[in-house]
Amino acid sequence: VRYARVYFDDVKVGDELPPLVKGPIQQIQLTRYAGASGDFNPIHQDDEFARAAGMGGVFAHGMLSMAFVGQALTDWAGPAAVRKFGVRFAAIVRLKDTVTCRGRVRATSSRDDLNLVELDVWAENQRGEKVVTGKATVALPSRG
Amino acid sequence: MPIEINRSVLGKEYPPYPVTVERGRLKDFARAIGDLNPFYLDDRAGAASEWGDVIAPPTFPITFRDERADSAALLSDLGVDISRVLHGEQEFEMFRPIRPGETFVCRSRITDIYEKTGRSGPMAFVARETAVTDRTGEIVAVIRHITVIRL
Repeated sequence: VRYARVYFDDVKVGDELPPLVKGPIQQIQLTRYAGASGDFNPIHQDDEFARAAGMGGVFAHGMLSMAFVGQALTDWAGPAAVRKFGVRFAAIVRLKDTVTCRGRVRATSSRDDLNLVELDVWAENQRGEKVVTGKATVALPSRG
Repeated sequence: MPIEINRSVLGKEYPPYPVTVERGRLKDFARAIGDLNPFYLDDRAGAASEWGDVIAPPTFPITFRDERADSAALLSDLGVDISRVLHGEQEFEMFRPIRPGETFVCRSRITDIYEKTGRSGPMAFVARETAVTDRTGEIVAVIRHITVIRL
C-alpha cells in the first residue's frame, strides 16, 4: 500500500525500501522539469548542444533522479519525514532509461522524542548501473 | 589545454535573496518529478493534515534561485561556460516542512574549490552552501551543492 504509515518501532537495520521504478525518461519530462525547477541548461534539452559539449547527446538533470529517490523515501516514510538527504551523481541518465530507486536502513537512533533512521539510498538504470548514490536520514513516529 | 577557473571566488558570499513559495510552482514541481502524493497536490488533503496545508517535496528547495540575479552569476564568477558544467553532489538538510505562501531569505557562499582528475580528465569541484531562514530568522533548510567543471 502506498503512503502506509511506517513506525520507528518496526524498522530494523538492513530493511529495504520498497523499490520505486521511474521512467522510461522522455524528453518532455526533462522539459517539464526544466520549467518547474528553473534549470534551463540546454544540455538537457538540445541534442546538438549536448553533442557539441562532448556529452554524446541530451541527458537528464541529476536533480530529477534525486527527486525520484526522494519519492522512494517519502512514499515509505511520509512527505515531511526527510531530515537530511544527500547524493552523488555517479552516472548519466539518458532518454529511454528506466531509473529504479532503492534504499536500505543502515542505523536507527532514538534521542528525546526524535526517532531517526539512517539509510543508504541509490538509483540504478535498467542495466543495474548506479546513477545516484547517497544517504538519507528520516524521522519516524513511534507507536508509543 | 585545460581551462583555468577563477579560484578567487572561494569564500565569496552572495547577497541574501528572498524567495516566496508559490502554491502553483510547488505543485508543478511535484508533477514534473512525477510524484502525485496528495500531500503535495491536494489542498484538502493538505488542510486536513498535521501541517495544515500542502507541503513541498524534499528536493523542492533546489528552485530557490535569486530571481533578481543573472542565473549564470556563479559561472561568470568562475569564468566557465555552461557546457562544461555537471552536477556533482547535492544535499538538503531540512528542519521543518515548507508550505505555500511562505517567504524565506537565502544566503549562499562558496565553501570549497578543489581539483581532481577523473576518468574523463581534469575537473574542478566548486562547493556552495545556501542557508534558508524564515521571517523569524529560524533555519528552515541548508542546501549544499557541488558543481563539477570539466577543465
